[in-house]
Amino acid sequence: MTSILVQDLHKTYKGALEPSLKGLSFSFPKGSIVGLLGPNGAGKTTTISILCGLIKADAGQVQIFDLPQNAVNREAIKGLIGIVPQQIALFPHLTAVENLEYFGNLYGLKGKPLRSRIDEYLQVFGLEKNAHKQVHHFSGGMKRRTNIIAAILHQPQLLVLDEPTAGVDVQSRSMILQFLRDYNRQGVSIVYTSHLLDEAQTICQEVTIIDEGTAVVQGETNELIARHPECRNLEDVFLQYTGHALRD
Amino acid sequence: MLRLLATIRKEWLLLLRDRTGLTLLFAMPVILITVMAMIEDAPFRDYQELRFDILTVDNDHGRLGKYIREGLEYSEQFRVIDSMKGQPIMEQQARNLVNEGEYKICIIIPSGATGAIVSNANKIVNDILKRMSMPGVLPVSSRKDSLNVTIYFDPASKKAFKSAIHQALDNFLTQVETDLLLERIKQQLKRKDVPEGDSMVIQLKAVGLKEQLTGPSQEIDVISNSVQHNVPAWSIFAMFFIVIPIAGNMIREREDGSLLRMKLIPGSYLAVLTGKMLFFVAVCVVQFYLMMQVGIYLLPLLGLPKLVLGQSLLAAFIVAVGIGLASTSYGILVGTVFKTPNQALNFGAISIVILSAIGGIWIPLEIMPSHMQFIGHLSPLSWGLDAINDIYLRNVGVGHIWGHVGKLVLFAVTLLCIAAVIEKRRLS
Repeated sequence: MTSILVQDLHKTYKGALEPSLKGLSFSFPKGSIVGLLGPNGAGKTTTISILCGLIKADAGQVQIFDLPQNAVNREAIKGLIGIVPQQIALFPHLTAVENLEYFGNLYGLKGKPLRSRIDEYLQVFGLEKNAHKQVHHFSGGMKRRTNIIAAILHQPQLLVLDEPTAGVDVQSRSMILQFLRDYNRQGVSIVYTSHLLDEAQTICQEVTIIDEGTAVVQGETNELIARHPECRNLEDVFLQYTGHALRD
Repeated sequence: MLRLLATIRKEWLLLLRDRTGLTLLFAMPVILITVMAMIEDAPFRDYQELRFDILTVDNDHGRLGKYIREGLEYSEQFRVIDSMKGQPIMEQQARNLVNEGEYKICIIIPSGATGAIVSNANKIVNDILKRMSMPGVLPVSSRKDSLNVTIYFDPASKKAFKSAIHQALDNFLTQVETDLLLERIKQQLKRKDVPEGDSMVIQLKAVGLKEQLTGPSQEIDVISNSVQHNVPAWSIFAMFFIVIPIAGNMIREREDGSLLRMKLIPGSYLAVLTGKMLFFVAVCVVQFYLMMQVGIYLLPLLGLPKLVLGQSLLAAFIVAVGIGLASTSYGILVGTVFKTPNQALNFGAISIVILSAIGGIWIPLEIMPSHMQFIGHLSPLSWGLDAINDIYLRNVGVGHIWGHVGKLVLFAVTLLCIAAVIEKRRLS
């Protein structure tokens, strides 16, 4: 069974000269941590937006846990996915608890079950002492950790993280990566996008590199590196497929 | 329902923590209303309650001067000043004082004015007697040229003010001439064998003027004054300024990704938007009632008239909700169209000022040119103000305000639909 199946996906934004996606295809196995990698403008954000049902593809097929992404399944699929956006998608002038209560309520969670789940995650992410501080007083790492909690309150089966460790210190990064491994062990599929390829190499069992709207390579991380003897690590593999030209 | 209530709670917490925003939402309108009501108090009183000093130079020293002085004093609009430092005012001195703007009006009663009026009355009576084949005995002056009471106005006086004074003085002149004529007729008739005890009452005004209320109730007689115009008008203006926090709120949510997070959560975003709207509509309604309290309690302490609310509190509440819906929807549209808070702030603020100016908030629509009145009636602020004026001044109830409220609700629905289309296009 796959967590995500993408087949021949096409998307051109209105008014854009170039298509964002040009027949993108890939699949991720259920229960794995996979990296969706690519340079700026490769089509990662567009792909994630289509996976979540935020925008519609012009053509192609998307399945999340074998459910086709369409108008009928859109709401059900939203419930299966947790998204950690690159931005700190929290209300800065609410406390961590108030933020999490609000997003929990939007998921239909309330009362003691919600409160105990929030307490549990705040403890896991080392935020229990700052639970009642307003988020704008938090450090970058604390904000990132709260951002992740907001995405997993409803216990999704698929967690999509966009640059989850951008701008955080080493301790917070280590804690977040360890949490993702532990979380994956509970059976949750994880899609990880980042420009930090050493981090992706450490955590991702499988990667798909996309560029200019198509998948250029997909495979198990270690196997991909081994397939290219001239490459010492994932970054070398990435550069080999996407080139050294600067992207806007 | 949980999503809706959670959103209302979230907005409440955010507003409570934004002290500057709270001040802007509630304290600034109070200051605005107080200042505007005080500033516009004088123009509103101009022709209603204010008393003007009127310089009077009486070169006649007869009945006409006395009548004009008494008439002006009786009208309670004027204070007659005919001397300064114990000396009678001279014509040239009076002209200079008016020209320098120290006094607004000066009237010069010419020498021989009363004599001219008496002579004219005598001539009329003699003519009547002649036609009745009776000899005319009253003395008539041989003077042919007519005399004029001269008026000098401060060059800065408004046209309407001048015409009001002209009319008042004209009335006094007519009154004096009529009184003298009647007196002469009575004198002549009394000479002709009238029995003792007959007082010869001649009443000239067989038909008079009586002002009645137009509204359904006879209990309230509200005068449109500075408070009665400015408090509702600037309250509506302040309510529309909710556009700024709403638009800022929408743009921040889009920028920081929380809007994206909300849209990724299963369930309709409409519930979240409804919660947001309900909260801000409630803020608008609270603003409205706070401003009304200012009109009722604070402004009278500053020497201004007390705001009269009319009799239908329910109708006023419905209108306040309608205005809140219109302004909140406008804020949502501005927040959807513009990409940065600065753009939204500039557009939102300037557009509200324009809509308020053409909508009769600054000055009543009735005194604008007809084409501006037509444009003004397209402003949602004028719909709100018309509805409130209907309730407060015309004393109407719920049944009479649906037209205005309907326009406000239709405006709100239209703007929300446009915002939805724009948001959908942005995503695609």
